[in-house]
Amino acid sequence: MSDPEAPPAAFSTQPSRAGRRLRRVILVAFLVAAVIVAVLPLTLTEQAADANLDPATLGIDFAINKSIVRAETTIAMFIALAAAWNLIGGLTGYAAFGNVAFFGLGAYTVGFLTDKQHLSFALALPLAPLVAAVFAALIGIPLLRLRGHYFAIATLGTGVAVGEVIKNIDAFGGGTGLFPPILRHADALFFYLMAATAALAVAATWLVLRSRFGYGLIAIRENEEAASVLGVNTVAYKVAAFTLAAALTGLAGGVFAQWTSFIDQESVFPIQYNVQMILMAIIGGAGTLFGPVAGAIVLEWLILTLAGGGTNAVYAQIGLGVLLAVTVIFVPRGVVDFFGGSSKLSLAYLRRSLRETSV
Amino acid sequence: MGGAAVTLLIQQVVLGLMLGGVYVAVAIGFSLVWGILNIVNLAHGALVVVGMYTTWYLFSHFGLDPFLTLPIAALALFVIGYILQRGVINRVIRAPLFFTLLLTFGINLVLINLFLVWFKADFRSVTTSYSGTGLVVAGVTVPYVRLAALVIALLLAGAVGLFLNRTRTGFAIQAVGADKDAAQLVGIDLRHVYALTFAVGAACAGVAGGLLSTIQAISPTAGEPYTLQAFVVVILGGLGRVSATVVGGLLFGLIEVLAQSQVPGLGAGWSNAIAFAILVLVLVLRPQGLLGRLA
Amino acid sequence: MAPFLELEGVTKRFGGVAALDAVSFKVPGGEILGLIGPNGAGKTTLLNCISGVHHLDAGSISFDGRRISGLPPHQVARLGIGRTFQVVKPFASMTVRENAAVGALFGSSEARLAPRAAFTWADEVLELVGLAPKARMTVGSLTIPDRKRLEVARALATKPRLLLLDEVMAGLNPVEVDEALEIVRKVHAGGITIVLIEHVMRVVVGVCDRVIVLHMGRFLAEGTPHEVLQDRRVIEAYLGEKYAQRAARGGEAGRG
Repeated sequence: MSDPEAPPAAFSTQPSRAGRRLRRVILVAFLVAAVIVAVLPLTLTEQAADANLDPATLGIDFAINKSIVRAETTIAMFIALAAAWNLIGGLTGYAAFGNVAFFGLGAYTVGFLTDKQHLSFALALPLAPLVAAVFAALIGIPLLRLRGHYFAIATLGTGVAVGEVIKNIDAFGGGTGLFPPILRHADALFFYLMAATAALAVAATWLVLRSRFGYGLIAIRENEEAASVLGVNTVAYKVAAFTLAAALTGLAGGVFAQWTSFIDQESVFPIQYNVQMILMAIIGGAGTLFGPVAGAIVLEWLILTLAGGGTNAVYAQIGLGVLLAVTVIFVPRGVVDFFGGSSKLSLAYLRRSLRETSV
Repeated sequence: MGGAAVTLLIQQVVLGLMLGGVYVAVAIGFSLVWGILNIVNLAHGALVVVGMYTTWYLFSHFGLDPFLTLPIAALALFVIGYILQRGVINRVIRAPLFFTLLLTFGINLVLINLFLVWFKADFRSVTTSYSGTGLVVAGVTVPYVRLAALVIALLLAGAVGLFLNRTRTGFAIQAVGADKDAAQLVGIDLRHVYALTFAVGAACAGVAGGLLSTIQAISPTAGEPYTLQAFVVVILGGLGRVSATVVGGLLFGLIEVLAQSQVPGLGAGWSNAIAFAILVLVLVLRPQGLLGRLA
Repeated sequence: MAPFLELEGVTKRFGGVAALDAVSFKVPGGEILGLIGPNGAGKTTLLNCISGVHHLDAGSISFDGRRISGLPPHQVARLGIGRTFQVVKPFASMTVRENAAVGALFGSSEARLAPRAAFTWADEVLELVGLAPKARMTVGSLTIPDRKRLEVARALATKPRLLLLDEVMAGLNPVEVDEALEIVRKVHAGGITIVLIEHVMRVVVGVCDRVIVLHMGRFLAEGTPHEVLQDRRVIEAYLGEKYAQRAARGGEAGRG
């Protein structure tokens, strides 16, 4: 148990009375929505369709539900990705720019094992986070010696290179990709799997923030040299955080592979995912518990509504880029700052943020 | 080693140097911005593409030779770069490095998608009358455009070096890079010098784009690989001196061509993997690069 | 019995310059040792070498009979050596209490407490340095003297046997210096050996059992404060004639 009287590390300052009330309202709203979100997929189960729970008689439009559940699954996936990134980028302060490599590795693990080795999904899935974790531990040891720009770009390069190397290996599907056997009528299953991954990521963050490990990571972020002379084994801790983030990201990738039933380099190593997961964590509040969750929900929902596909996708990307710029310039600490009651979204706040970082 | 094998090797070396020339052209601006402003500009590739499209436009609509329009591309990018730095990037420059990275990434995203909107994903090219021709010396082919690209890249590097070391503005830029607070104290306007430095970097990207337009196809995402490659060049050669970037660029080009020709199974698809391998090796073994200082 | 801390031929180069050149001395347990010398003499570099931040180019450092040169900083901390930094390095987003607790959570083998116990110990340490009333404040709202206290508290929380203090008195007014001296004495009374780098002579004379003088990376002189302050070589290299005259006139070393 960490300091019982201190405010939880999820929020950096004590909220005001109004802030507390707001927080409670949001929490209730969130819980209600979460219940709806969690129950909705059950209406899609084949059993529900077969049995006398005919969706039509319940007045539910089956197709719309399907797309909603798909959206929910995507959002859950990004919650997992953002929360996982938060462990290494937010808590530890090592802004990795290539975590999509772990996503792809997890996806390819499942894809390869189910498509080429004919393993069942249930057996293949646990190996996804394992492969990602092993890779992260190996590559983390040299890479985490780097700081700042070097680390960011080195990890960016990793993300790009891993995808490329895999594309060139025919045993892994080469240019055509892998085709895990399709699981029909499993939309609900995949939502729950992805949601479980997201819950796992958030739970892991919660445990870390209350533990010695978490304090060590934050100490590393705030001042690595001081942390090391105080007795924190910085190398081991950084690699551990990196590996944990990789495992969670890889798990999400593994679920994704079976969910979409087709993977190739472009679909599971998209560079865009890197910036999305980082942006989500930052918009929500890097280093906090719920920041990545909030950021993922808001941003992915926005992307899904704006990106109707086709020409819309391009404008959505432009919007994303502009949002990134605006966030970084005006709200670098993320919106969680506002819910803690320490700041209010106002012109003065924006101007202050701006002045703090402008030349 | 038989005569044919020697000729082949020399051909590879020549190709490697010419590829290196391209890398030098791309990396000069990137290195300047990083060395002075401590900004790793993830939108650098996109700026190169702006140079490509500018050159293409002048070529296809006015028939102007791509090499002759290089100064125009440079000027256009200079202006764009100045406005970008002064208006946008200057706003986060005192934030942790990570935020400038994100910002330039965002700018990159916006630029690429603007290209997609304006130019669509089609490939365009700049093919002049002399595009496919070249010298043949002792069995070794030296394409004219690539040779010109190498020469101009080296001239560009030299010009930037002279600018930095022989002009008042260049000194101001170096002063800001060395100690921005001290520079302010002697009366240097940081906002302006920052914008100027970025503008020069962008202008170099414009020139690189012009050169590249004669060598490869132009598309909205054509510049993407170059950002990463510029990064590798700077890591390999080192930060802080133009000569370091030149050495890094030429060496990188050589390594890439020789690795792909000498190592069986390592085809063109591996270029990013090779770059990454170089990156990790250098960072782990000699972080300051061959000629540079620790950034 | 092996000396508590022993340096032998310690050499550290940066580029072509030898920041430390064959420095050797011994520190018996229970002592308060002062480390003085002009700026650039290599004092902080010496602390950095002891705590494992720098690798030695030559020589060795032993602590309680065990060779520590070459160990990474966290292992040196684990063996029981704590230190402060000249320019304080607080964990900005944590409260005062949490800062101190990090020392207790990690630190020497005596520390490494579970979170609850760590915070309890942190509270005691904060009490000792006088920061208890400000335990829940964030670092940003602390004054400079308080930040220095926090720096010391954090190092103390690691339960060190040897504490290295780097110019803790710098920037403090005379009243604050007295308060700091009290803390140093209290820490020492608890059985902790102290090595402190100082420029404030009043402190050196007031609290050090012995003093070592470094000059240009080399060992210059060693002895009790009085011996050292009257040493010709030390006066020439560091203290200056005026100070020596004042000291000779005043008997006790004058202020500052």
